[in-house]
Amino acid sequence: AMPQAALADGDPGAAALINPDNYVEIGGIFTSQDSSKFGEYNGLDKKGGHVLGNFSVSGGDSYAEKPGIDRWSIYGNNLGTDSRQVGAAVSAQDKWSFSIDYDELRHNITDSYRTPYQSSLGGNTFTLPSNFGTIDPNGTASLTANQLAAYHQMDVYSKRQNTSISAGYNFNREWNLKFDYKHIEQTGSKLISSASDSISDGLGENVAMLLTPTEYQTDNFNLAVNWGSDKGFFSAGYYGSLFHDDYNHLTWDNPFLNVNTNAGSSPESMSTPPSNQFHQLNFSGGYFFTPATRLVGGLSYARNTQNESYAGTYTPGLATPPISSLNAAVIMKHADLKLSNQTTQKLNLSAGFTYNERDNNTASAIYPFQTIGGDSPTPVNIPLSWKHTQAELAGSYRLDDRQHLHAAYNYDKFERWCNTSPALYAAGGSQPVNGGTYPTPTSCAQVPKQVDNILSLDYRLMATDTVNFNAGYAYSKRNSDVNPYFYNPMQSFDEGFENMGFLAFFQASRKENRVRMGVDWQATEKFDLSLSGKYTQDDYDATLGVQQGKSSSINLDATYAYSEKATVSAYATVQRRTRDLTNGQGQYPLQPLTALWTNNLTDNELTLGLSAKQKGLMGERLDLAEGITYSLGKTDYSTAAGANYTCVDSTTCGVFPTIKNEMISFRISGGYKIDKASKVMVGYQYQHLTSNDPTQYDYYQYGYSATVLPAYLQAPSYNQNLVYVAYRYDMK
Amino acid sequence: DALPRSAAKALDADKVCTSCHDSSYPEPVLDIYQTPHGVTGDPKTPLCQSCHGDSKKHIQDASVPPDVVFGDRATVKGIKGRQMIFKPSAPSVQNKECLSCHEGGLRTHWVGSQHQVNGLACATCHSVHLPKDPILTRANQREICFDCHKEQQADSHKFSTHPLDAGKIVCSDCHNPHGSTGPKLLKKNTVNEVCWQCHADKRGPFLWEHQPVTEDCTNCHTPHGSNISPLLKDRPPFLCEDCHNGPHQSSDAIGPGLTGSAPNAPGRACLNCHVMIHGSNSPAGAFLHR
Repeated sequence: AMPQAALADGDPGAAALINPDNYVEIGGIFTSQDSSKFGEYNGLDKKGGHVLGNFSVSGGDSYAEKPGIDRWSIYGNNLGTDSRQVGAAVSAQDKWSFSIDYDELRHNITDSYRTPYQSSLGGNTFTLPSNFGTIDPNGTASLTANQLAAYHQMDVYSKRQNTSISAGYNFNREWNLKFDYKHIEQTGSKLISSASDSISDGLGENVAMLLTPTEYQTDNFNLAVNWGSDKGFFSAGYYGSLFHDDYNHLTWDNPFLNVNTNAGSSPESMSTPPSNQFHQLNFSGGYFFTPATRLVGGLSYARNTQNESYAGTYTPGLATPPISSLNAAVIMKHADLKLSNQTTQKLNLSAGFTYNERDNNTASAIYPFQTIGGDSPTPVNIPLSWKHTQAELAGSYRLDDRQHLHAAYNYDKFERWCNTSPALYAAGGSQPVNGGTYPTPTSCAQVPKQVDNILSLDYRLMATDTVNFNAGYAYSKRNSDVNPYFYNPMQSFDEGFENMGFLAFFQASRKENRVRMGVDWQATEKFDLSLSGKYTQDDYDATLGVQQGKSSSINLDATYAYSEKATVSAYATVQRRTRDLTNGQGQYPLQPLTALWTNNLTDNELTLGLSAKQKGLMGERLDLAEGITYSLGKTDYSTAAGANYTCVDSTTCGVFPTIKNEMISFRISGGYKIDKASKVMVGYQYQHLTSNDPTQYDYYQYGYSATVLPAYLQAPSYNQNLVYVAYRYDMK
Repeated sequence: DALPRSAAKALDADKVCTSCHDSSYPEPVLDIYQTPHGVTGDPKTPLCQSCHGDSKKHIQDASVPPDVVFGDRATVKGIKGRQMIFKPSAPSVQNKECLSCHEGGLRTHWVGSQHQVNGLACATCHSVHLPKDPILTRANQREICFDCHKEQQADSHKFSTHPLDAGKIVCSDCHNPHGSTGPKLLKKNTVNEVCWQCHADKRGPFLWEHQPVTEDCTNCHTPHGSNISPLLKDRPPFLCEDCHNGPHQSSDAIGPGLTGSAPNAPGRACLNCHVMIHGSNSPAGAFLHR
């Protein structure tokens, strides 16, 4: 017969520990201000009251010393907001499991957007009132009374509703099956700009801020069968991801139409993301030659396709596509293998390689079209492909019981090519299409190959029983092969010209030095302190382009447990990042020194945090928690120009206004136990954000420019006060 | 203990520990019976001594540590950050006990992974005695990761972030801290495959592709937080000029108060017109306008 309450015998407190922690919370949250930024992700974007509801209830015949293996649970969080989550799980441990989860997330983007377009959130058609008339971009920046009257405010948000299902079944000790499914239902819109051109100077693109619909459905599946034993393990699986966009385009009335003879058409059209599919087969496994020597590896093969119709994605009459849809197909391959050996406690060795490939097998064709600048190029789509090979040799050596050394060499090769249709570029080679030929598979990539060699060394030291130290250094040298036959098919067009000698930072040769260091000191049983930092410097070898990048950070963290039931913690993080860019003026293959100009980015960030907790106050009835967080982000850009430029405003002279975001948040919360099962919880939060970026937001204001349809977007500063009160009932 | 047994036998066997480590013990011990490790009806569920060793000396003399002491050796902290009575065992000793059951799966690439070579033990992050292991709880996970990853903690307070603070995305949605074949312990093979889990609209393949987009989303974006929205490393037009010099007036110096300065800096700059920056599926979209 089963012994009764084996653990609880003589231990009355045991029952409270071995039964599940179940609770229900109900209450209200009150906010003082509308703010899409404060409520960006938490569902609290509108002032006023919101219901607070959370619960978690579990049960089953395996709790409280019962002999079963069944468990179930249901839970819900943030039930009164657009950030709600509910779910349930049931399992028979080591036999099977099943869970379902529903989760909402509304991404509030802005509440300052104003538009004259008659449209709905999630729609793809933007029409102007019949009496709106047109806007003269060559005239003044004023709008007519009818145009101003057409403006209305819209909250812009994109909402996700995620439904997940997970299941598992164990056939026996060695074999099991796992399945995951997630459906993401996305609705709403995001801001998107749009351009049309009614001016012939090539600069005066007319801009109207629209909303691109996010009426998406994504279905992700994972099915895997797994095997494991003392000698190794193996897994074979399928991952599928189906993305559906309810639209393939959006259209909008062009308010700048008919101003002069260079005007475009109306309505205008542009594409939205195409519905697409991703199917992937995955295999991974490991074999243990000995307990200390093992080989693990994996293979993946994926096919990413889309065949969305072009219909509606371009303005009729401006282009005649050679086919009605792309029928695109990209094959993605992956392989990895790693051999590791831990023969002795002192020495661990490993050798591995990883290979990834993106092979774009989409057919290429000529797509004549008219640019918004009025040019008529006849470009060919270039199916970009790449392969990435990495290898690593690494070893860890325990110098003694307190010191560890880790050294590694990494080889990293990235190669690019294009699967341009041979018939097409062969034909183009004999024809002076746009003043040149079409790119071949080898001439399409400016950097067809880059190789990075990386050496790294890391050291750990337990200096004393209370002081730990770590440091690391890595040196990386990337050599890029610049293609002498690189051909830019758009070089003859103003929109597509690229200066010779310019290399994109991610494919330019560069040297990188990385240093990091950290120390953790447990000064007393009550007080610990840690300090860490790192510094990275990248020096690029490019005539034009990014020349240097630096980033550094210092972190200080301390915790003081001033009693058994009270702690206070503080941290400070300082981050700094710079980027130096050199560009050349004008469209010349070789730049004279007088035409060069530089731009420097400096990003400074400070984050401070202080938090405290006190438990068991007022006769073990009251728990308190307090916290203050401060963050200051400042991004500065300054341009220094060569002799071809002069300062006409000495106060600015190339220096942009600082992008500054400063946030302070204070919160205090407490829970008071009324009795063994009941608790009242009260909290207050004050959060203030000052956000400033005039270079961005001035552009959208009325009167800024006749070439922009005002959208009145504002930097999202706010002062928020939040109070919550809730009652919690605990059930055992 | 892999042998078939009854729940009663398991509880009885555990009594060698729970008779002292009862509900009055300051560290949570008995709470483990709320967790999967405490389902005594499952014969695969470990006993106390399955993980901590026989600990015969400890049973005889409480001042002697058990055979295997779990905890973070670097900070000498145990569950809930409490100061530990005994020095934790070496990570390799601790992890061997965990991996004896949890080999494969997410742990396939543990050996040689960043966390392994940096001396982390499973118990550095996991607290298996607590009713709900904080790192497996979405609301709490980031706090555990931020214990070490201070830069990412600071990033999470920046102007532009993923919904980390709201608990809608957690570190393990993108990373596999146990090791992976992807960069930065990402759970997929490439950066882009991770991002496409939620941002499948950026996956294409597009008619007109943008090279850095096809290669690595982090060429332009910094996923943990940025002062420049949306999660950008640099702001347009300079973000674009990090790779382009020549189109339109992009080759002209851009800055207020300079003669001949290009006018394309305000608002979204290049993205005022080149709106389909992740790729376009319009035949008229070769310049990513449409």
